[in-house]
Amino acid sequence: MTSDTDRTSRFNELATAYSTDLYRYAMWICGNDALAKDLVQETFLRAWKALDSLKDIGAAKSWLITILRREYARTFERKVPKFSDVETVVVPDDEELEPDERAERVLLRKGIMKLDSKYREPLLLQVVFGHSCAEISEQLGISKSAVMTQLFRAREKLKILLQKDGVTGNVHELF
Amino acid sequence: MSMSFSEFKKLLGADPFGREPETLDARNSAPEFEQAAATAEAFEHKLRSALHVQAPAGLIADIQSISQQSAERRNWMPFALAASVLVAISAIGMVWKQSQELAQIEAYLADHYSVDGDAFIARAADGVSEQAISKVMTSLNAAAGQELSERIQYISFCPTPEGRGAHMVVSTPEGPITIIFMPDTSVNDGDLVEFDQMHAYLVNLEHGSAAIIGGLNQPVETLKLVVKSSLKTGLVDV
Repeated sequence: MTSDTDRTSRFNELATAYSTDLYRYAMWICGNDALAKDLVQETFLRAWKALDSLKDIGAAKSWLITILRREYARTFERKVPKFSDVETVVVPDDEELEPDERAERVLLRKGIMKLDSKYREPLLLQVVFGHSCAEISEQLGISKSAVMTQLFRAREKLKILLQKDGVTGNVHELF
Repeated sequence: MSMSFSEFKKLLGADPFGREPETLDARNSAPEFEQAAATAEAFEHKLRSALHVQAPAGLIADIQSISQQSAERRNWMPFALAASVLVAISAIGMVWKQSQELAQIEAYLADHYSVDGDAFIARAADGVSEQAISKVMTSLNAAAGQELSERIQYISFCPTPEGRGAHMVVSTPEGPITIIFMPDTSVNDGDLVEFDQMHAYLVNLEHGSAAIIGGLNQPVETLKLVVKSSLKTGLVDV
């Protein structure tokens, strides 16, 4: 009974610590709110079943990301998700923004959605999860220098988008 | 060897908040490096803000419920297993009980018919009055409707597995058929039993049951509707 309680408590701690970031990550890799929620649910369902195999709690974040990425790959094999317009799926921010700032954020979000996944994924791992380049390298199974190049290029594409005309720029011509 | 501005910008692009010694040294080496770092950090704040979408309300609670549901399922598992075993035992018990009851009725019909079956068919040739039918039926808290009574050629009381019943012989185009009315015995409706070159079709009635007995070449089940609709049982609550 005690081990059941410990297990549940451990699981709940993981859910509290990582479900929001996993949702954000899922949201930005699949661009679909409902699928993102399903992916996170499925990730934690699998995590619950396999919780005893997680020996090092410090590795939990990477472990959960790996489960989610595999689940996404499986989902993607079955059905290509329909990318929605980011503004229709992103929950409106409570934050007060000036109109220019709001327009810039919309453009940036559209730009992130349009990034090729080889640029978007490392960027998400770094910004959403705070992964270092070495950790991203390990997570994605590519070299650290390749990770750094992809991160640099991802940011360059987004910066060019904003510098060109932050509010009226055409996001499609950059990607 | 000091880092070039181009190399520094690439480093910033890969990790704007990088705090490696060489990055920090480069940042402090010249104003343009510092300006580039500040610009990169400003962009990074916009990027983080753009990526910071709100998670759906209740997401954490929904996920935490996975463990609760699983725990509840585990808590119920012994009861579910016990219930399954109980249901299985009950089902086996019911099947065994039914088969025992059927065997008991089959034995009764075989015994009874071997003693009185042919003899009563022989007496049916004389016919029977409405009053005689009514007298037997009333005693058994039952009544024979017209469709049945006009076919009855012989009727008398007889023993049944549970108390007294009626032994009738009715006429059909396929020859005389025997009906045993068992007021206090239940059967499985539609069960068919065979004994001594005879077969019997069992009919469950509102109160009690009946066995329609004939030779193997006689379609006994065709009398089922007549018996069900015309043999009125339990007329008075007792």
